[in-house]
Amino acid sequence: MTALLEMKEKLKLIYGKYEVLILPVAKFLLAFITLNTLNGRMGYMTRLDDMVIVLIAALTCSFLSLNVLVVFATLFSLAHMYALSLEVALVGFCVYLVMYLLYFRFSPKDAVVVVLTPLLCSLGIPYVVPIAVGLLCGPASVVSVGCGVAVYYMIEVVVGISSNIKTMADDEEAMMAKIRMMIEGLVGNKAMLVVIAAFVVTVLVVYLIRRMSIDYAWTIAILAGAMTDIVALLVGDLLYDVNFSVGGALLGSLLAVAVALLIQFLRFCVDYKRTEKVQFEDDEYYYYVKAVPKMSMTVSTRTVKKINSQQVRGTAPDPRSRSQSERRTAPSRETDRRSGAGVRSVTTERTSYGRNGAQRSSYGSNQGGIGGSRNSRGTAGRSITIGSASNAETDAEDNGVGQTDEWL
Amino acid sequence: MLNEERIILMTRMVSYEKNEGRKNMKIGNYFRSDYIAVQILKSVICATIAFGVIFGLYLLYNLDEMMQNLYTMDLFEYARNVLSYYGIAVVAYSVIMYISCSWKYSRAKKSLKNYYHNLKKLNSMYNEVK
Repeated sequence: MTALLEMKEKLKLIYGKYEVLILPVAKFLLAFITLNTLNGRMGYMTRLDDMVIVLIAALTCSFLSLNVLVVFATLFSLAHMYALSLEVALVGFCVYLVMYLLYFRFSPKDAVVVVLTPLLCSLGIPYVVPIAVGLLCGPASVVSVGCGVAVYYMIEVVVGISSNIKTMADDEEAMMAKIRMMIEGLVGNKAMLVVIAAFVVTVLVVYLIRRMSIDYAWTIAILAGAMTDIVALLVGDLLYDVNFSVGGALLGSLLAVAVALLIQFLRFCVDYKRTEKVQFEDDEYYYYVKAVPKMSMTVSTRTVKKINSQQVRGTAPDPRSRSQSERRTAPSRETDRRSGAGVRSVTTERTSYGRNGAQRSSYGSNQGGIGGSRNSRGTAGRSITIGSASNAETDAEDNGVGQTDEWL
Repeated sequence: MLNEERIILMTRMVSYEKNEGRKNMKIGNYFRSDYIAVQILKSVICATIAFGVIFGLYLLYNLDEMMQNLYTMDLFEYARNVLSYYGIAVVAYSVIMYISCSWKYSRAKKSLKNYYHNLKKLNSMYNEVK
């Protein structure tokens, strides 16, 4: 567990450091996979089914809001529907319009749910969506999940009727038949209704349980959500005979539980054994407080630099500097001994002195050298170092004084 | 001299103003009843468009049947049925929006109250220095 917590903290540090890069790359990958899957599944418009266009669209999405990806995915699917048949595109446009009117009013920030739900449905692992949404979002997000499922089934309907539509003529009668075929495919799709109902119930169950003030609320919510999902799908299957794969649902739910536990670890890692229950009062209220401490670890962030052990000729170490270096770097030496690091040279601070010897202190810069440097004769940039180790010495022999100069 | 506590408070407040606060301040400019009324008006418009789209698809789906029965059916009765469905849909959607907007408004107000409390705290910090 300690190693996991340490890894989590490291991940957080990495994310914090490279957030500017990680977010656009993640958005790009999501957009690329979504649009590629869409092209692979539909692909009726050959002009759009081109890697260059997908890459341009994905790159555009990478630095814009996720809602732009929703718009791009909608336009791509409508274009494919249009290439198949104008009537199919018309029905598709109407469905999208109704969804946007509903979705943007309730939860406009759930673009990632709207995109991920059909994507995971097409990959055969949709069961993770309702549990994750219940854990991370609010109850209004059921609209986004419902819209995502409806989009997936609409695409499936289009793919299903495409072979029939291609063989139909373009006369008025055929036009009406195409529209009817599309509407029947959507309205009469019992599987879609069962999945939407099951997912909505699951999201609400997970959300309600994880908000409860009980121990292990998130774990209970995850397990209850997975079971609710399976039971709702099975009941729907029995009532409407939609032929769900029970094995697939069970395996998918197990995977969903695993993913949800990972989400729980990253988002809500608390130690219930150290729960404190306190009670106090003020003029107006009695307070019954339950405080659950978070599990966390601080990752030591050391700046280790290999420093040349060879003294630069003609630069006698300043005793004032020496005493500073010894005093300031003692804890670092301690740290290195604990960690068993071969290199003991740690430089983390720069201490500068005025002419009268008063410390001006500028922290945070990594400057220094072994036992003196070009600046050591002057008053500023006193070097702060701790000796050297065997491998540092080897490096020093290779690099010589030039290495020292580079650090200054 | 730098006051660390003040800087942390100001950073948090700026972050709030740039993200969640912007939306909340817009909501906070309204009285509760005005905010909910505007949102419900928007919902009625959205519901009307959505109902129109769905009804249009229904008409397209049943166009042949409609054309055949156009002269025999009771058009007033049909229109009354359609309007009653429209009314039910709009009312149901508006009720849901009312609940959602009330919740959003109370959350935004609570959040803004906290923000103004922090503003006062910041002001008192500056006064202490003076």
